[in-house]
Amino acid sequence: MSEKKTVSVETLNEYKGRSLAQETWRRFLKNKGAIVGMAFMILLVILACSGDLIYDFQVDITGFSADLSESPSLDHLFGTDQLGRDIFARVIYGTRYSLIIGVGSVALGLVVGLITGSLAGFYGGFWDQLVMRANDILYSIPNIMLAVVIVQLLGKSIGSLLVALSISSATSFAKITRAAVMTIRGQEYVESAYAMGLPTWKIILKHIIPNCLSPIIVQVTLAIGSNIISASSLSFLGVGVPIPIPEWGTMLAEGRTYIVSEPWMCIFPGLAIMFTVLALNLMGDGLRDALDPKLKR
Amino acid sequence: MAEKKIILEVQNLTKYFDTPKGKLHAVDGVNFQIEEGKTLGIVGESGCGKSTTGRTLLKLLEPTAGTILFNGEDITHYSRARMRKMRTQMQMIFQDPFSSLDPRQSIMQLISEPIKEHKLLKSKAEIEKRTLELMDIVGLARRFVNSYPHELDGGRRQRIGIARALAVNPKLIVCDEPVSALDVSIQAQILNLLKQLQRDMGLTYIFITHDLSVVKYFADDIAVMYLGQMVEKAPSAEIFEKPTHPYTQALLSAIPIPVVGKDKPPRKLLRGEITSPVNLPDQCRFLKRCDACQQCCQDGPNPQLVEISPNHFVACHIAK
Amino acid sequence: MSEKILEIKDLVVHFETDDGCVKAINGLTLSVGKEKTLGLVGETGAGKTTTALSILNLVPSPPGVIKGGSIELDGKDVLQMSDKELEHMRGNDVAMIFQDPMTALNPVLTVGEQIAESIMLHEHISMKDAFERAKEMLKMVGIAESRAYDYPHQFSGGMRQRVVIAIALACQPNFLIADEPTTALDVTIQAQVLDLMKELIEKNHMSMLLITHDLGVVAEVCNDVAVMYAGRIVEIGSTEEVFNSTRHPYTEGLFDSLPNLKEQGEELVPIKGMMPDPMRLPEGCTFAPRCPYATEACTQTVPELRKMGGTHFVACHAYDDPSFRLRRNANG
Repeated sequence: MSEKKTVSVETLNEYKGRSLAQETWRRFLKNKGAIVGMAFMILLVILACSGDLIYDFQVDITGFSADLSESPSLDHLFGTDQLGRDIFARVIYGTRYSLIIGVGSVALGLVVGLITGSLAGFYGGFWDQLVMRANDILYSIPNIMLAVVIVQLLGKSIGSLLVALSISSATSFAKITRAAVMTIRGQEYVESAYAMGLPTWKIILKHIIPNCLSPIIVQVTLAIGSNIISASSLSFLGVGVPIPIPEWGTMLAEGRTYIVSEPWMCIFPGLAIMFTVLALNLMGDGLRDALDPKLKR
Repeated sequence: MAEKKIILEVQNLTKYFDTPKGKLHAVDGVNFQIEEGKTLGIVGESGCGKSTTGRTLLKLLEPTAGTILFNGEDITHYSRARMRKMRTQMQMIFQDPFSSLDPRQSIMQLISEPIKEHKLLKSKAEIEKRTLELMDIVGLARRFVNSYPHELDGGRRQRIGIARALAVNPKLIVCDEPVSALDVSIQAQILNLLKQLQRDMGLTYIFITHDLSVVKYFADDIAVMYLGQMVEKAPSAEIFEKPTHPYTQALLSAIPIPVVGKDKPPRKLLRGEITSPVNLPDQCRFLKRCDACQQCCQDGPNPQLVEISPNHFVACHIAK
Repeated sequence: MSEKILEIKDLVVHFETDDGCVKAINGLTLSVGKEKTLGLVGETGAGKTTTALSILNLVPSPPGVIKGGSIELDGKDVLQMSDKELEHMRGNDVAMIFQDPMTALNPVLTVGEQIAESIMLHEHISMKDAFERAKEMLKMVGIAESRAYDYPHQFSGGMRQRVVIAIALACQPNFLIADEPTTALDVTIQAQVLDLMKELIEKNHMSMLLITHDLGVVAEVCNDVAVMYAGRIVEIGSTEEVFNSTRHPYTEGLFDSLPNLKEQGEELVPIKGMMPDPMRLPEGCTFAPRCPYATEACTQTVPELRKMGGTHFVACHAYDDPSFRLRRNANG
């Protein structure tokens, strides 16, 4: 009891507790699948960033060579395509497009979904009706169809693909945010903040949004994965990233014709998509368990 | 004798909620006043409107009708922004120490939040010093200052809730079931703490609970609520010695007393359950569960509080 | 000594979690006599609910591990039973009532169907007959027969708990485990439900283990009482013995913490400190760090239950000194 008087806040740091974020991180690290997924994603990001250092876009990625349609060998790990382009180089180079589209569309969708979802969840009533009915309408149109229409309207480019994919993400983010905000808004600590005299905007920023983040973070990882798949599907359909950019879906589309004679042209971009999405899903599951340990019990 | 100062006066406080089924009479014309430094216990079962009363008089809910006078100042129609300044004088302690603290904030952040918000202290060092002081006052070991609520048990969390309420030096604290989520041995610690704080700081409490035995220990005056109305109000000792309203009698008799083998008064069991507070007729609200009910009760109107002896008010047609 | 329906000896149950081993029950010994009601009293984390689940061999595993001990129910060891025997035992011989009546009921079935279902599980009769029996059960717990066609959400909390009791009693078990059956209810409703339970237990010659934190409820309903602290029984005896000649300092602390025994303005005497963390239990007597009478010896060894006369047992080192008395008793 007596030592109490002399202790200052700084020395009290030895008793530093673990915040929820730290606890989450600790639990996340215990999940092997999630670690593998995260390691894979880190590798992908590094590859995506360093693609330009290893390869030259004009020569290696879009340039023709004499090695037409070679099967995988030491020279060409993944083989070459009908124009003699090295598929390994193209898959590696393609990482950046998949990641940019995946992350970019989710980021765009997240911003829109967060804002509209919190409005709907916090204020309810008119805002809720407006946001949720708009969501319902968008939700009732098949994603791919909507995306095709938008890409056709805006013209074929990575930018329009981003916008097209972000719309479907935005609706799911809006729904999740709304549900989370509504739960948190009813918590006693929000009422306690009012009783403390905090203004509404501070309560939203300091108490509501930080506590809504768990389900949203999980959704972000999962949405990146599904948007990469959607982007590839669109490219495969010919409305996504234009040829000759080595987006994985575009590569699949190009390889489709040769699938019997040169299967590696489809297999490797296909595996790239699969592993990326798998890694993201593993991470997402790991995060979900780490953020909400009750679910696992 | 020093003149008694009324810190809070509530006249005809009413709060209705609109529900799909009709008008829900959560609080229906409640009147009371509290002297500074005293405790008013508001007792009733779930759904009787006691929590709504507490929240409405702090203006966390907008009253449907009535007047709230705080230190003689009519705050009934104060805007949210204007009310924010009043929050330094009136505070609240919540029931559930698990959901009333933001899980993402450390104890330091939680306790210092109101100090920072109302700019009571400027420098970081002063705020930290005050936070540690508050922790001493509520009996929280200083080593928890950087902990998070999920690392602490219910009793300690409730102490944080109390420290937060005390941080702004309030005059009045509404305690909404502050101990009902806690174990008995911890309950006693918190009750003793609240009592000691009242003595040291001259606090005024409105103590909302479903547990008559807790207010018996704690309150100067007790008001019993049933379906949004006060049915009996009297000094604490009087309520226990001479409970007059049939509901108060039943409530008292329903408390299981931890005594064995000694004379216990026979239990008076209430029939039925609390009726729905939606679209109530102008009739005694306790009618359907009351043993003493007579023809005059059936015919209405809804009885109002009447002073049957000094400071003892009862709302009943028969008990006079 | 009278016959026992339940005898638990040296039960040890641990939960092995990622963060460490939670020592929920550490050598628990208690027994319930035939046609008697034993109140198991303790605070949050004392291991009351784990005890109840162990009796039905329902401790969630993993992480729960029953490390040792025996639980004899009517002479048969529950821990040695085959799955089939266990199934037969749950419901036929033993029924359980949980604290929260809402989660114990299936929201998509009418209450009549739920009671009938429970009857049909254990007796081979037609749905129609079972439903008739269900109506009788409802009447028995004081609910109009016509409400058998209603769904759980159409009932209030007290009514739901009555339905749960009806389901529990539908197969005429001879032993009932009630885990905080009235904690979620209002006092006036609690009084009704307790009265009902007491009456039904007597009428059907049943025995009951009533788990509660409320000594008042124990005084109303129970013949015997066991006080539990950190996974052990610290005091056990008839209610008369435990309430009127309390022996264990923890039991004394519980009584002193209760506001309803006090006069107005009198100071409550809380037990200092907190429940120990079940992952890091103190050496020796687990109550020693909070005990006003603790001595050096208390931190060394775990006290065994010792007989204090009659059916009264207490686990406390202080009684090594025969002249030791608790303050509560010293004052009369």
